[in-house]
Amino acid sequence: MNINKILVRIIALLLFFPILFMVFLSLSGAWPWPFLMPKSISLRGYLYVFNPSTKILKILINSILLSLIVTFITIAISLPAANALAFYDFKGKNIIKVLLFLPLIVPMIAVTMGIHLIFIRLGIVNTYLGVILIHVIPGIPYGVKILLNVFELKGNKIELQAKILGASTWQVLRYITIPIIMPTLVVAGSVIYIISFTQYFITFLIGGGKIITYSIILFPFAESGDRTILSALSVIFVISVLAIIYLSEKLVKKIYKNYI
Amino acid sequence: MNKKYKLIFPYLLLLPVLLFIFGIFIFGIVNIFLQSFGYFPAVGLKLFSLRYYKEILKDPNFFYSLKFSLYISFISSLLSVILGVLLAYLFLSTYLNDKAKFYNIYKISVIVPHTIAAFLVFTIFSQSGFLSRIFFRLGFINNMVEFYPMTFDTKGIGVILAYVWKGAPFITLITYDILKKLSDTYSKVALNLGANNFQVFWYILFPLVLPTISLGFIILFTFSFGAYEIPYLLGPSKPKALPVLAYIYYKSVNLKDRPYSMVINVFIILFSLVLAFLYILLNKIIKKHGIDR
Repeated sequence: MNINKILVRIIALLLFFPILFMVFLSLSGAWPWPFLMPKSISLRGYLYVFNPSTKILKILINSILLSLIVTFITIAISLPAANALAFYDFKGKNIIKVLLFLPLIVPMIAVTMGIHLIFIRLGIVNTYLGVILIHVIPGIPYGVKILLNVFELKGNKIELQAKILGASTWQVLRYITIPIIMPTLVVAGSVIYIISFTQYFITFLIGGGKIITYSIILFPFAESGDRTILSALSVIFVISVLAIIYLSEKLVKKIYKNYI
Repeated sequence: MNKKYKLIFPYLLLLPVLLFIFGIFIFGIVNIFLQSFGYFPAVGLKLFSLRYYKEILKDPNFFYSLKFSLYISFISSLLSVILGVLLAYLFLSTYLNDKAKFYNIYKISVIVPHTIAAFLVFTIFSQSGFLSRIFFRLGFINNMVEFYPMTFDTKGIGVILAYVWKGAPFITLITYDILKKLSDTYSKVALNLGANNFQVFWYILFPLVLPTISLGFIILFTFSFGAYEIPYLLGPSKPKALPVLAYIYYKSVNLKDRPYSMVINVFIILFSLVLAFLYILLNKIIKKHGIDR
């Protein structure tokens, strides 16, 4: 038993060490080989991130908004789909289930190279619209699967009762279904948000260098870059994602505290 | 509501999501196939031919890349699954995860993008990295060139490390809750009958959670098989991973090279689909033998 506890701590620590190292690196000045400690502490990385002339904060806010829009669209189309799969029997149900699951399996890189030309013809490359549309795809399997699980678990008895008592479809959705599944919606939303916010290649291809997201600016630094600045950028990245997830949980709890 | 409306109602609910799936996802795949056969009217290629397949299949570089990609994805997904399930099992047997929220830190790598994962592996495992500095201090090496190259190496060690760092917590995340639920139901009975912790895990919990584990393996495998950032940033210049090779043909100034890229994409997609098919088959076998929940 004791060995297990030691092992757990070692593995958890090993997995966490790179993050710790990243924070440390973001605050370091010159740090040549073979020193185990940097020669100086420096805020250079963070000064770069927060310097208005680099526009990094503006890009961060734009990316957050972009990924939030992607999340809302993905949830909005996954919710009715999961509902149909959970509560209705119809022809082609199994095929549709497989289809909605496929973006998890078929690499988005290939799909994006395939659709690129069509997006060019439609004039939606280098636009937010194009990037949002392509970002929705990898989130669909997660959105549908997570919501389908909760629908299958909780059933639709309360909804049916409300309908018998004369509630409209919209009222049922607004006052019963959504409040009940809200915690799951937040989980699904968080997953979809993270998937969108971390996309590099598909944003790069469809955005054509015109639509710059936070994940896009990381890449050149990783290619040839300044370790201190990249670490500072990474720290801000992780904090921003954790903050969005935390805030959305808080917000939902506040709005729906009377329901749950 | 009349009967006809009721009949089409589920399809109406599915319509928005299917528009995205068919309009972008399926349409994208169809275009890849069309272009791989040389149908690319935008640059005047209008004849279907197997020419591009023949030429790619004659190119030894393609096979080096295919082998490298399969090897990287298989090893990294396998190690992720082993480490991830081990961690879930350890959390389960020590209850540490429930007692202390602190242990949730292991999850952070899941939200880190691949670009940052590649960078962190570089700063720790490269010849000028943190590990080589420790080895120098310990007197194992005298200069950084003596440190075994783990980045840009043909064995892909750096690439595998980056994928395992991202993949293992993902596996723990998707298996832990299910393991816990199953454990509450079955473990006490087995423990009462004299099984030890390991036996409970290996003979009861593991077979029950196998469908989830295999799904996790397939998600990790197909993802790493078709991802660009990590092999581009950490991999060797030869052989290149398949997606890196595909993009090189894709961005070629000569648009007539495009079909070569699409042939490579077809192979990426086919390998992914074969794996998904094996997963469905495996699940059917598991169900048949009655060890499903």
